[in-house]
Amino acid sequence: MTQNPNIAYINNQPHAFVEGETILEFAKRVTGDDDFIPTLCDAPGLETYGACRVCSVEVANAPDAPGRVVASCHTLVSRGQHITTHSGKIRKLRKNIIELVLTDHPLECLVCEVNGNCELQTVAAKTGITEVRYPIGKTHNHLEKDLSHPYMTSDLSKCILCYRCVRACDEIQGQFVLSAKGRGFDTQIIKGMDQSFFDSDCVSCGACAQACPTSAISDVFQSKSIANRGEVTRTICTYCGVGCNLEVHTQDNTILSIRAPYDAEVNAGHTCLKGRYAFSFYDHPDRIRHPLIKKNGVFQRVSWEEAYDFIAEKLQYIKATYGPDAIGGVSSSRCTNEENYLMQKFMRAVVGTNNIDGCARVCHAPTAYAMQQTFGTGAATNSVADLEHTSCILVVGANPVEAHPVTGAKIKQRMMKGVPSIVIDPRSTTLAKYATYHLQLRPGTNVALMNMMMYFIITEGWADMDFVQRRCEGYEMFVEQLKQLDVDEMERVTGVPQALVREAAKCYATADAAMSFHGLGVTEHYQGSYGVMQIADLAMLTGNIGKRGAGVNPLRGQNNVQGAADMGVQPHQGAGYLDVTHPEIQQKYHQFYGVPVPQHVGLKIPEMIDAAFDERLKAMWIIGEDVVQTDPNTQHIIRSLEKLDLLIVQELFMTETARYADVILPGASFLEKEGTFTNGERRIQRVNKVVEPVGEAKADGQIIIDMMNKMGYQQPGPYRADVMLEEISRIVPFFAGVTWKRLSTNGLQWPVAEDGTDTKILHSTEFKRGLGRLLYHDYEDSPEVTTHAEKFPYILTTNRVLEHYNCGAMTRRTGNEQIVGEDLLLIHPEDAAKNGIKDGAFVCVESPRGKVDIKAHITTDVNPGVLSSTFHFPDIMINNITGDVADKETMCPEYKVVSVRIRKSRKLVERGVR
Amino acid sequence: MSTNLSKLARRHGLNHLLFKRLGEIKKTKGGISPSDIRKLADEFLVGTATVFGTAAAYDFLRPEEETPAAYVCTGSACLTAGTQPGVKAQLAKSLGGPIGDMVCLGRCHENRAFHFNGHNYSGADIEHLADILNGSYSERNDDYPVYSEGPKVLTDVPLDIDTCYKELKEALQHTPEALLEELTRSNVRGRGGAGFPMHIKLQSVKDIDASEKYIVCNADEGDPGAFSDRYLLEKQPYSVLLGMAITGYITGAKEGAVYVRAEYPHALRVIGAAIEAFNNLPSIPTAVGEAFSYRLYLVPAQGAYICGEETALLNSIEGQRPEVRTRPPFPTVSGLFGQPTIVNNVETLACVPYIIREGGDRFASIGTDKSKGTKLVSLDGFFNAPGLYEVPMGFSFGELVYEMAGGFRTHVKAVQVGGPLCGIIPEHKIKDLTVDFESFKENGFLLGHAGVMCIPGDYPMISFMQHLFAFTAHESCGKCFPCRIGAQRGAELLLKAIDEPGYKIDRELLDDLIETLELGSLCGLGGGVPLPLKNILTYFGDEIAGYMVSNR
Repeated sequence: MTQNPNIAYINNQPHAFVEGETILEFAKRVTGDDDFIPTLCDAPGLETYGACRVCSVEVANAPDAPGRVVASCHTLVSRGQHITTHSGKIRKLRKNIIELVLTDHPLECLVCEVNGNCELQTVAAKTGITEVRYPIGKTHNHLEKDLSHPYMTSDLSKCILCYRCVRACDEIQGQFVLSAKGRGFDTQIIKGMDQSFFDSDCVSCGACAQACPTSAISDVFQSKSIANRGEVTRTICTYCGVGCNLEVHTQDNTILSIRAPYDAEVNAGHTCLKGRYAFSFYDHPDRIRHPLIKKNGVFQRVSWEEAYDFIAEKLQYIKATYGPDAIGGVSSSRCTNEENYLMQKFMRAVVGTNNIDGCARVCHAPTAYAMQQTFGTGAATNSVADLEHTSCILVVGANPVEAHPVTGAKIKQRMMKGVPSIVIDPRSTTLAKYATYHLQLRPGTNVALMNMMMYFIITEGWADMDFVQRRCEGYEMFVEQLKQLDVDEMERVTGVPQALVREAAKCYATADAAMSFHGLGVTEHYQGSYGVMQIADLAMLTGNIGKRGAGVNPLRGQNNVQGAADMGVQPHQGAGYLDVTHPEIQQKYHQFYGVPVPQHVGLKIPEMIDAAFDERLKAMWIIGEDVVQTDPNTQHIIRSLEKLDLLIVQELFMTETARYADVILPGASFLEKEGTFTNGERRIQRVNKVVEPVGEAKADGQIIIDMMNKMGYQQPGPYRADVMLEEISRIVPFFAGVTWKRLSTNGLQWPVAEDGTDTKILHSTEFKRGLGRLLYHDYEDSPEVTTHAEKFPYILTTNRVLEHYNCGAMTRRTGNEQIVGEDLLLIHPEDAAKNGIKDGAFVCVESPRGKVDIKAHITTDVNPGVLSSTFHFPDIMINNITGDVADKETMCPEYKVVSVRIRKSRKLVERGVR
Repeated sequence: MSTNLSKLARRHGLNHLLFKRLGEIKKTKGGISPSDIRKLADEFLVGTATVFGTAAAYDFLRPEEETPAAYVCTGSACLTAGTQPGVKAQLAKSLGGPIGDMVCLGRCHENRAFHFNGHNYSGADIEHLADILNGSYSERNDDYPVYSEGPKVLTDVPLDIDTCYKELKEALQHTPEALLEELTRSNVRGRGGAGFPMHIKLQSVKDIDASEKYIVCNADEGDPGAFSDRYLLEKQPYSVLLGMAITGYITGAKEGAVYVRAEYPHALRVIGAAIEAFNNLPSIPTAVGEAFSYRLYLVPAQGAYICGEETALLNSIEGQRPEVRTRPPFPTVSGLFGQPTIVNNVETLACVPYIIREGGDRFASIGTDKSKGTKLVSLDGFFNAPGLYEVPMGFSFGELVYEMAGGFRTHVKAVQVGGPLCGIIPEHKIKDLTVDFESFKENGFLLGHAGVMCIPGDYPMISFMQHLFAFTAHESCGKCFPCRIGAQRGAELLLKAIDEPGYKIDRELLDDLIETLELGSLCGLGGGVPLPLKNILTYFGDEIAGYMVSNR
């Protein structure tokens, strides 16, 4: 037996190869040079394709044996193989292929967008080609540019038909917008049914543009033209909890374009249209550029000093007169960890109240609460990368294809490849269409449905009793209650056949490793926290915790909503989730902050609003949160804000909330400051400043530090991420080993030990709280329905679209607005017919709180009796009709179940673009 | 090739194919509308681009193109006979509208043919065009003689549904291992051109533990000059189906697909009816306990020569664009819908019943040391006795041509055997060859499927070279760069040399182009066409010298 059998030779040099490796992979790996063998159709993250043949090499069984020409991208390395990568024969072949390519390519490099950054140019130069010998024949030079789309462009005269765009659209985004028509030389890339980008189903993720080796597919920012000019800054996207890494190209303090780095663990060269293209809000004329104080009902520009003095004086007065608990703060999950830490510190250590809350209140507070109750930690147990190792995917109340596009695309990829999957959702979302099982339940009945699943898991013996007995508590009582379940009644309640639920339960329970994802379709309910507990129960009952490819994975909405909670932006827990009512903890914070801290739990956002309404709360400082547009029951919010003595709003734009402010402080967008964001898989990543803040705007952290000092607290400045992280790492236990330097390129997943070791999977050997706790809850109808269903028989559920982010303050000020310019009401054809509503016509939707007029989009994606809409546009203001019911445990509003009635609207405007 | 599209197609399986739906829509509605495309995209969970792109790859599915009133055969045999311009003109005159091209209708024994309204007609039928149009003249029975020398493996009395059932029942009394052993002993090699031992593929698929496996019969015999598969599909359909069923039993495949060229409408009808009859057979108890039931599906092709290449064929069935896949993985590991799959040619599968009935040793006793069994050879209309011949492997090609077929009825300077990607044999070399894989290979040609097509003395070789490039350009799937661009440039170069007095082809450039195609192409289309081109350069150098210039 030979000593090291897996040896092959590249140009006579022996190297060890890995079984199953292609020659191209082998050569890249051992030479460390991705371009050692030239290629045009191979690209990062795409499957082998074998079209260009430029990667051909010669292989032989012995050093002097006659070689055989093979394409290195799809030929496996074999033992003792002699690979010659640059023989005369191979050089000639490559040159001859490139010559053929150039016979059908406009030779106008100097005026081409990608001049200097063109892979064809680079490969052609390497072959040493100097002339094209063929007479002029048929070409594609006549093809015209497609400039129809706000972002995507194409110039197919430059296309070399490597199919990288088609493959990126298929293998990365999973959208199948691109293909080709014709055959042979007449083959030509098409979008949709040979349409323009705008008319196609393109979702503008830009993966095709990034994959294209020439300028055949690009974007309006000419993102490939910038290789040789300007600067590149790597940072983290602000649009959702996925945490995509971005490479921002700038010149003279202006952003030119954004691309996605291939070496990003989170997004590996992919991102959505929000991350890649929706950045033009940052210097939009609407940006607030100076501090403003409302004088005689009109906002007037003031200096920072005047604004600070005004605020300090008012706050001091209110604190002295009404006590610190008359002041409330709402921090922003759009801001960095460091800024959130500072804001809660300001409220606790400077003002002296625990009245600090954040947007998690209206989204994942139930998740944090329920997972703390069951597991001990309110965060995703696993990483998104585990999708590659799972054998069953459960998606509950989440539409990540729209709201978390990169994660959504990854889930879709796994579903398309046949991984068994279950979607629990009232709507036929994209993932529901691809899933093995779609349990299309009536909105608000998650608890009934998941109780059915668990009933079958227990009664059919599919539970992992070994795991339950070793790792969990409360099983006996749980089972006793569960066994009382009236499955027939639950079938009626949910509207989902029990046989289907049983099959889905079996699929989840019997998988080797099952992984769940959930979103606001679970939390934003009367029984929101209980729904999350059931997802945790399902995982515990089936042993799907603490291992790869499994776990409970909330899809966190805002880019740093995980971080805001970690930093203590909640009224009952301080930085690091420590209980504010616990004397030892109070002592710890006292010592650390150098001042005494408040001792009782503070107000949650809805409580602050109610307290303002009752005039118990006198002042609020709201950072980057449009409560008027996005919190339920708009009119109640407005009346409450109007009663405040002082409303400070720190914002980028004049939002609906900002209009009611006494003082507006111009904060900085994520592109204008540094810090860290923590994504939905606990990954702390570095946010780097790309451009200077507009006008006099300041980093939000700087504003808070300024105010702390103004109020007499010594907080050293200026605001710097590394300095702040150093402070945070000393108080937040799971940040112990976090330093700016260690975060490096791809960040660290908390908990991070002192030595810098991070954690991919939580609860591996034991739960944070010791034993996992099984908690059973009976299904209960929402009071919204029991109270109002008779007069308001339809259920409206609210959701998101890909193109817009939350209140839309940012995305509405980008090209996204040209793609989706309004909120629409999804309505089933039967309901539309019953009410005489045509597609595109206005519908009047009325709830006990009020009514709105909104255009209908007739679709079978919702069941009869169910309506669905978004709240991205203030001209619709859908939250005028959402209600007051909230999660029983955390007060997270029930956006997902709103009792309404509908009729044809008197407004008669036909629908415009999509 | 898209893994996602394969896996999405797998959800429906052979029972519900996007590709078939497209064919049905085109057939019933005459065209494929945007709303049809949108519905299919939603139904199959793919993009509208996917559906449009697939349809737009086939001659007979193109969504945007008007369907021609009729088609003439542009296969090589019809081409060299020079008969088609007249047929085309007559059709255009009577029908109006565009007349399309089809390659090839498999009536090479007559050297002229056309297709109208789902039927093929021999060229002579053009005289009855008025009757064809008014419906009083039905598809002419294109009887051609079938000759054989030695044992009849493929051309014996055809099986019917009863004898097929009986033979299947008998076969299934043996274990799959025993049957595979017979095939191994027979050493039957693939008749589609590559000559790969069948039993190795079967063993490979049999050894893989998979929930689904498939047998695919490649009945997309598109090589002009061959009508042997058409004979088997039309005259011996149960031999083909029985071969598939036995292969399925051996490997554990429960389903099979017969992918038949659209250019053979009669074959489609015959094999379609046979498949229906076969699927109605009761399940059969087997030696291994579990009863055997095997389901076959007919998949009508839509006009793309490249689908004769097995991976393009698999993509086609899956509703993907018919582009060639990279290997590995080979279809035996990841074939149809990503599952282990046997793809064999019609003639190969049709050999199986004989081997099982008579024994592997008996089959192996026919033929040469390395090429076993018999071979069907189709001879075109330039022969004195055109038709289909079954001869033992190793049979003298000269004897076949000059004695059995009586030689040529006119002066023939060369024959092309095995289709447009196989060698061009100058007339004087015919006698040196025997009908087997090795003899042809050793002499610098290829046996292919052994369709013989003649190049008459007055047909210019430069035009034939142009035809070879043009054919490749038209049929290239468009995936690999050398074939997609190179074939087009080759066709242009040759055309320029023919049409433009004074223009001469740079010989070095032509040699470079041929070498680029040969070394660089992904499959046997771009990689195969250099062989006949080089044969012409070698054997007919003098004839074409005037069109070339060498700067070396």
